[in-house]
Amino acid sequence: MANVADAAGEPIPTSSVLMAAAKHIEINCMPENVEFLKCKKKDPNPEKCLDKGRQATRCALGLLKDLYQRCKEPMEGYVGCMYYHTNEFDLCRKQQQAFEKACPLE
Amino acid sequence: MTEAVIRNKPGMASVKDMPLLQDGPPPGGFAPVRYARRIPNKGPSAIAIFLGAFGAFSYGMYQVGQGNKIRRALKEEKYAARRAILPVLQAEEDERFVKDWKKYLEYEAEVMKDVPGWKVGENVYNSGRWMPPATGELRPEVW
Repeated sequence: MANVADAAGEPIPTSSVLMAAAKHIEINCMPENVEFLKCKKKDPNPEKCLDKGRQATRCALGLLKDLYQRCKEPMEGYVGCMYYHTNEFDLCRKQQQAFEKACPLE
Repeated sequence: MTEAVIRNKPGMASVKDMPLLQDGPPPGGFAPVRYARRIPNKGPSAIAIFLGAFGAFSYGMYQVGQGNKIRRALKEEKYAARRAILPVLQAEEDERFVKDWKKYLEYEAEVMKDVPGWKVGENVYNSGRWMPPATGELRPEVW
């Protein structure tokens, strides 16, 4: 399960993929995530926050696809390293540097 | 007979005049042997030892603090990553829960359709807040 994308080229949101892209998600999807969390804080009922949840998921999945298209090789290396070391950031510094050089955090 | 041969003194009259053959000190005696204590009294003083120990301890504690700072930064990185992907995971779980909850409400309506005065679904607590369902395990097929 170390490959990023399935047969159609869509990145699969496994834990290693999500943790690898977490810094990008934090920066690029911050508004949607904050809205979803505020909605949840107001009312924890899942049925009330479905639309905001869909926005957050759409943003994150779109970001994953964009990252995968822009820098496929470093992302695959980083995700593979994360999968091998079960999402331990400190053991994957080299691949992290390569990934952030190819797809910078802005 | 061999003693007389070994300890022979030329011109001795009988065996009783043989010279003594003893192991003894060399002529002039042995060299003097020192047996008095001479423990030197130099080296670091008490204050110097105390300051050295205190310095080593404080340097070690400083390094402990630095290491803790680094470890805290690593943990913060991990927690920040988890906070970033939390909405995605929660949203997916919400979708799945809503689907299963609708199916459960239909099942409850079908089971309780002959019971008079039963409002199907949502007859949980009175506080007005939404609570997750507390009947049995949450997802028995997963556990």
